[in-house]
Amino acid sequence: MTRLAIPRPIRRAQRSLRDRLPNFRVHRSGVLLFLGVMGPGLIAGLAGNDAGGIATYSVLGAETGLRMLWILPVTTVMLVIVLEMAARMGAVTGQGLGDLIRDEFGIRWTLFAMVVLLIANGANVVAEFAGAAAALEIFGVPRFVTVPIVAAGIWALVVFAGYRVVERVFLSVAVVFLAYVVSAFVAGPNWGDVGRGLVTPSVSFDTSTLLLMVATVGTTVTPYMFFYLQSSVADKGLGPEELSFERADAILGGVWTNVIALFIVVVAAVTIFPRGIQIQTAEQAAIALAPVAGNFAKALFAFGLFGASVLAATVMPLTTSYAVCESFGWESGVSRKFSEAPVFMGLYTALIVIGAVVVLVPGLPLFGVILVSQNLNGILLPIVLIFMLRLVNKPRLMGSHVNPPWLNVVAWGLTGLIILLTGILFGSGIAGWISKA
Amino acid sequence: MLFLSQVIGKPVLDRHGGAFGKVRDLIVALGEQYPPVTGVVIRVTGGREIFLPWSDVEDFDETGARLHTSSIDITVFQQRPNEIRLYLDLLDKQIVDVEGRKIVRVNDIQLAPVRGRLRLVAVDVGLTGILRRLGFSGPGERLARALRLPMENYIEWEEVDPVESSVSSLKLRVPHAALATLHPADVAHIVEQLAPRDRTGILTSLDDERAADVIEELSAEDQVDVLEALPPETAADILEEMGPDDAADLLADLSEERKTELLGLMEPEEASDVRELLTYGEETAGGLMTKDFITVSPQETAQQVIDRLRELQPDANHVYYLYVTDAQGMLVGTITLRGLIIADPDTRVSEFTRPEPISVTVDTDADEVARAIARYNLLALPVVDEEGQMQGVVTVDDAMERALGEGWRKRLPEIFEPVEET
Repeated sequence: MTRLAIPRPIRRAQRSLRDRLPNFRVHRSGVLLFLGVMGPGLIAGLAGNDAGGIATYSVLGAETGLRMLWILPVTTVMLVIVLEMAARMGAVTGQGLGDLIRDEFGIRWTLFAMVVLLIANGANVVAEFAGAAAALEIFGVPRFVTVPIVAAGIWALVVFAGYRVVERVFLSVAVVFLAYVVSAFVAGPNWGDVGRGLVTPSVSFDTSTLLLMVATVGTTVTPYMFFYLQSSVADKGLGPEELSFERADAILGGVWTNVIALFIVVVAAVTIFPRGIQIQTAEQAAIALAPVAGNFAKALFAFGLFGASVLAATVMPLTTSYAVCESFGWESGVSRKFSEAPVFMGLYTALIVIGAVVVLVPGLPLFGVILVSQNLNGILLPIVLIFMLRLVNKPRLMGSHVNPPWLNVVAWGLTGLIILLTGILFGSGIAGWISKA
Repeated sequence: MLFLSQVIGKPVLDRHGGAFGKVRDLIVALGEQYPPVTGVVIRVTGGREIFLPWSDVEDFDETGARLHTSSIDITVFQQRPNEIRLYLDLLDKQIVDVEGRKIVRVNDIQLAPVRGRLRLVAVDVGLTGILRRLGFSGPGERLARALRLPMENYIEWEEVDPVESSVSSLKLRVPHAALATLHPADVAHIVEQLAPRDRTGILTSLDDERAADVIEELSAEDQVDVLEALPPETAADILEEMGPDDAADLLADLSEERKTELLGLMEPEEASDVRELLTYGEETAGGLMTKDFITVSPQETAQQVIDRLRELQPDANHVYYLYVTDAQGMLVGTITLRGLIIADPDTRVSEFTRPEPISVTVDTDADEVARAIARYNLLALPVVDEEGQMQGVVTVDDAMERALGEGWRKRLPEIFEPVEET
């Protein structure tokens, strides 16, 4: 937070920029100017490209080629709709999603929603640890070394360095995934096939495809994102008068995330799918970057995956603990002593410890773990969506900013679709899949 | 003793014991130490909600309510300004725990007969309240006790300050009397825990001077947010109460539009000081300095100066050094508070003036200012323009804050801890 650390020309630039763009709030403590002006929607979207995202999209491309590309436009629409609603609620009510659930539905529903959030985000933390472990396995570092060190490191980092800093670094690492875009062009797929794949829905109801579909939905539209986006819009004090900016920001965030996702799937489809490899390790997933990085593909992939995983593992337990504690009215904040904020510090620590311990179970396939966690997110997603849709349609809260009817039709339709998908998945026998994994 | 969660949804019977409806909410009138229940909202069969005054209620306990009138005058509920609905407006909402100096959520509400009426006596913000609401009172409490979790936490209604949330229908003119007893740093801590939208309610309820003290305790980012959110007139009044240097720092971070607006609303005298400070670069002595300083003339006697200080009652950080200026406003020396007090009352200032004072010009780099203050162990450093005219002073806390970052001030006790002002 030292103000002196920011070079003077950058601060001057920040100020003149802020004067020209009244809608953007420039952080004085900003490490990088461009991150300072980045809207919360874009940040929330980028946060979706964590270990879960990379693994799921890679597996989707590697196992189904271009056949399932059509699911991406659908998840893009879903993500954009949901992010826009979250931003709108944050702007109009000035409250976080957890706060609104407590205010409006009372304590029982809050407990239910928070348990759902804890499970979903807990699964994500597990995925991030698995991602970090998988990344370093490329260099031959066993997970029994990586995971405990990473767990202790991030716990200390947040408690001592503050999470704003971590968050910015996290987002800078996301730049690595632009390599997928370059890789796609170097690998040169048949773009006609890509276009056809995008618009031709093909559904097969075998368990592995269904699982991939649910995982894709779950990793793209993560409950974590809306909680994050809504409270960051509220915390920045953005109001309804800036709705058009927030809307644009949310749409941009949603679309951009899925553009990256699309390129990951395409590259995996072109480079891994033809070889018939079922991705089990980070090494195999790294093949996708070979067209752009050649021999460095493994190192580049490992760097990106490790960075994204570790930093997401830092932010995720923290925001989860904040959401839970705020909705129950418990003291929160990492600068508090354990005795001052026992629940907060306890939850934060427990999420990290549990995440690490699960990954340390001997013999667990890391990529399998990541995919399961994203499935869990996909299964729990409709619950959070229903809470959101109920809230966003309350005139008492939203005034004239409730959903227009067409948006409700689309949003409820998509929510129903996810529930249906999950239902079919369970129906088609999850047992067979468990024995396979 | 009765909890709100125990009565909501319980049956309401008419005087003959026939089913009438269900308890939906209770109304209390604020103002007294323990607000009395003045009415009940009942959901009658068919889903309609009606309101009955408390005088129609014969019995009321955890089994439900029993009415004693036969002719029910069904009127539409008109909420009076001092009345709140406990279930709708207070339960599950955020409140300020004045004693604990933090924001908590209302898990349950305690009612008890006091002076012959059922009254709101306390809010339950503890784990027992959560478990009661969830219906886990028995086994849940045993488990929680086995884990040695803190269980009961009731806050007396007197020690509670409701938050005017942007989403709640609670739009009271809450006096926030309890908050006024806290140290500004504690109020700032409370304000920081609230959503930005909910902060203005508390700040506008404080008097301007207190609000200014609280705002000065907030982080730079929160200061800007709060000043953008407050009604412009209130914001301008609060700025006037701040030191011109702090006000200028804050205004410099606002949007151009808002800055002009607020400066226009401030008293011309304060506004012109602030305007002047705003013209200096943020990283210069001019940007750091304050216009609050005291000048004396060399011809004055020590007694005259002391008398003037009594009259001015300056803040602690402006009293340690006094600046001696000639008729043209040129800085010719300084006198210290110590020098002033130990001097014979009739001595002229010129006799105990320290000549050739260490000073900087308005465009001196901020880092250099900090270094000069550190090297010469000064509490304040005078700032002059090119001609040598006294323009302002940089105090050690402002200079060190600049040099060490904002966190510094929070970690070390304030050097100029204001003595109890009367």
